[in-house]
Formats: sequence, C-alpha cells, structure tokens
Amino acid sequence: MKENPSVSYPLFASFKDKLKPKRSQAQMALSQANVFSRLSWQEIKIVENAVHIRNYGPGEPIFQQGDPGSGMYIIIEGSVGIFLDIPQQSPKQLSKLGDGDFFGEIALLDASPRTATATALENSTIIGFYRPDLMDILKTKPVLGGKILLALSEVLAVRLRSTNGELVKVSRKLESLIETGTNE
Amino acid sequence: MSNHESVTIAPQSVRLFHQSLFKTLVYFFLLILVLAGAYKAFPLVVDALFLIVIAAILTAVFNPLVDRLESSGLKRIYGTLLMFGGIFGIVGLGVIKGIPTLLAEITRIKDVIQQNAATESLDSILGDINARIAEFVPSFQLDPDLISSLSSQLFSQLGSILAGALDTLATILFILIITMFFLVDGKRMTKKLIGMVPNRYFEMSLNITYKTKKQLTNFLRGQLLAALGVAIQSFIGLNLLNLIFDTNISGVVLISAIAGMANMIPFVGPFMGMVPAIIVSLFNNLGDPVAASHFYYILHIIVMFLIVQMIDNNVISPIVVSGSMEMHPLTVILLILVGSQMGVLGMFLAVPAWGISKVVIQEVYQGLKGHRLI
Repeated sequence: MKENPSVSYPLFASFKDKLKPKRSQAQMALSQANVFSRLSWQEIKIVENAVHIRNYGPGEPIFQQGDPGSGMYIIIEGSVGIFLDIPQQSPKQLSKLGDGDFFGEIALLDASPRTATATALENSTIIGFYRPDLMDILKTKPVLGGKILLALSEVLAVRLRSTNGELVKVSRKLESLIETGTNE
Repeated sequence: MSNHESVTIAPQSVRLFHQSLFKTLVYFFLLILVLAGAYKAFPLVVDALFLIVIAAILTAVFNPLVDRLESSGLKRIYGTLLMFGGIFGIVGLGVIKGIPTLLAEITRIKDVIQQNAATESLDSILGDINARIAEFVPSFQLDPDLISSLSSQLFSQLGSILAGALDTLATILFILIITMFFLVDGKRMTKKLIGMVPNRYFEMSLNITYKTKKQLTNFLRGQLLAALGVAIQSFIGLNLLNLIFDTNISGVVLISAIAGMANMIPFVGPFMGMVPAIIVSLFNNLGDPVAASHFYYILHIIVMFLIVQMIDNNVISPIVVSGSMEMHPLTVILLILVGSQMGVLGMFLAVPAWGISKVVIQEVYQGLKGHRLI
C-alpha cells in the first residue's frame, strides 16, 4: 500500500513552519538583485543591516539627473519611472521599474553625475545601498565586500560586452550605409 | 439701541479681556519658568555636550582599530572590549608605575626649592642667569621675588590640583564608557539619525557624514601620529642630553608625553613642550657649579627641541598630517585666547577643534554645491 503524499500531519507541519527561517521583504528583494544574488542568507542579513529602507510618495524624485551618484536602489514595493531631462522639453520616460527591480548600481563604483532622473510613480518602499555602506562592509567584512565587488564587476562586464555588440552592429550599419552612398 | 448693545457687550468683552490677560500671564509665567530652567540646565547641557564631543573624537580615533579587529572575524563588541582591555591595562600600568614616581619627583623638587630658598642660593642662581641674559638682552631681568612667589603659589595649590585629578579621573571614565557605546553601536545610531533626514537631502547627508568621518579620522590619526613622533624624538633627545652632557633631567617619559601632546597646538605648542624640560633641568641642577657654567643646559634643551621640531616639520608631519591644519598664526593666537576662557583643556583643544570644524564646514559646503542646493 502506497502512502498518499498529500496527507498532512498537522503537528509536523506546525514544527516545519516554525523551523522555516522567516525572511523579511528587504531580504527577499536583496536576494533578487544580481549584485547580492550569490550571497548566503547570513550574508544577506549583514547587507540588510547596512542598507537604508526609504519610503517615497507618488511623483517624489529618488535622485535627479546631474546629482553626484552615490548608490543603487532596489524596489521592495511600488514602481519607479526613469526619466531623461531634455532642456526646453518635457522629461522623456525611458523605463518603468517594479517590485524587485534595481537601478543605479554603477554609482556604487563611480561618483560621476546621474545620467537620468528616477521618480516614484506611486507610494513605494525602496532599499538604498550606498558607497559608504559598501566601503563599511569592505572594511569590516572584507570577504563579503569582495563578493559584492565581484558581482558588480560581472554586471559591468555584461554591460561592456553588450555595448561592444551594439557598437559592432552600429559600425556595420554605418559601413553599409557608406557603401550604399558610394555605389549610388 | 447702540448704547444698550454696548452696555450688554461690555461685561463680556471685559471677561474675555480678563481671560486673555490671565492666559497671557500664565504663558508668560510658564515662559519665565522654561527660560529659568533652561538657564539652570544650560551648564549641564554644555557639560554633557562636551563629554559627547570628546567621546566622538575618541571614537573617530579608535574606530579603525575596532574595524580591523572586526574584519579579522571578531564580533564588534568583543573587539571593542579587547581594545579597551588593552588601553586600561596600559593606562593602569602607567598609573601604578607613574604616580608614585611623579609624587616623589614633585616632593623632591619642593624640597630642593625650600632648601635653596632657605640658603638664598635661588637668588644667587637667578642673579647668575640674569647676568648671562644681560649679555644678550641688557634690559631683560628675571625678578627673584616673582619666581619664588610663583613657585610657592604652585605648591600651595598642589593639594587642590590632586583633588581635582580624582574628579577628572571620574570624568575620563565616563567619557570612556560613552566612547565604548559609540564604538559598538555608533553605526546603528548614525543610521537612525540619518534616517530622519527627508528623502531630498538623504543621499547628500549620507555622503557628507561619510566624508566628514573619513577626513576627521585621517586628521586625528595624523595629529596623534605626529604627537607620538615628537614624544619619541623628545624621549631619545632628552636621554641623549642626559648621557652626553649630564643634564640631570628626570621624568623624561612625562616630559616627552607633554611635548608630544603640546605639539598638536601649532606655533605655541613646541615652546610649551620645552618649558617643563627647562624647569626640571633648572631645579635639578640648583647649586651645581658645572650646570651653572653651562647656563643650566637651557640652550642645549632649546637646541634639542628645535631639532625635534625640524624633523617633525620636514619629515614626519608632511607624511602623517594631511595639511588640514594650515592656519594663520593670528588665528591660532586668537583661538588659544578664546580656549583659555575654558581653562588649560580649552587652550589645548581650541586649535584641533577649529581644525575639525574647518573639515566639517568644507565637506558640507562641497556636498551642498554638488547637489546644487547652494
């Protein structure tokens, strides 16, 4: 006689539930971001203690184009619009980000000005992880800091490869256009 | 009709007037109470702030060490306890070994002065010094009465100084406890405080706090390293003077420590550092004709401290201090004058406090400018 797997044992299930580690929303959001996706839950907990959880109202800017960049953001709840400010024109929306999405991670490495404006589109809860936080982790937990830096380098490498691919495509298109122009 | 109305309204308006007058008087009384309370509490608040500021400065100094211990895998609280254990150990050893020596030294100097005052040899020595000074500066003379009255005043206050030392010890202990809390929980406290900043200014505040903390740590570390450098050089120099010229300078460790700490005050500090060495050499050599013929080794000591200053200014300071203390001599004199209103400690802390404020103001200005808020 085969045992039915769907039969539940309430006492056992209750114990199992109690033993199951409880993850906060921030921990879940952090584990989804590619910079932290390879960290253990224990390491995620350390990062959670270092980050800042902020609430933004609809239309409230998170950062503005031209501001010195200082960190990355991960959306726990809500949505964020990325806008390009064009002089004498209304801002152009480049993308809309939702729960679990992240942006601005390059600013962790580089303080150059932000290239776009990020604005909350509705009531949003967002994690902010800034360069001072990363520096602090690097100082006090160098192994964890190294893992985050390695993940950041991988993000950069992927972006660089994709940009190179785009560049090759554009240069080929340009060459073909020049060729067409010469033939005509 | 209008008369009748005015008559009926009048008592009500008078009542309202009375009510408002009563309210105003109550508010006025409360305001006076609050102001009196604030006036009474003001010194307490200032004292508490002073302790917190000193603890914050110490935290900035010790934080890198605790960070390093934490990075080696030790929990922050254990790292802090370990560091404080070490500090208390060293200070305790210093107190156990140093205080009896210091007290013996003070008693010995007191005896020497009393003996020499009795035999009037202090007068003859001052006469000798005055004759030597007259060779260089004819119009300048040291007054023997002034010197002996100054020294008797100093020794009569010795008891109250020692009583005050116990009070100071309690304050130091309190500062160290606050520092311990700051070291263990400081990051969480800072995070909570910055968390209160509105979203618009949040990133900027975080950056300013981080950069200021970094600059402050570098500045204090530089100052302390330079002080340590001067103290070590003074220790070597004074021992060399004792060895080569038999200058008979006692309490070399204490004098070197004073010279190192005084060095944190630009321009005036180096002179403050050499004064104890000169005084000790003078008192230790009273009645010694060889020492008298060498001008009580005062010139030797001055030259030694000048060499220490040269090495510090040209070799050590350029390496360890980031140049954030560049100040006009007039600013330094004014700061010391202002600091002197708060006693010797105020004089000592005025210049470094100004240096720290300068760093904070610079960082806040740069941050506000970067975020186009000014």
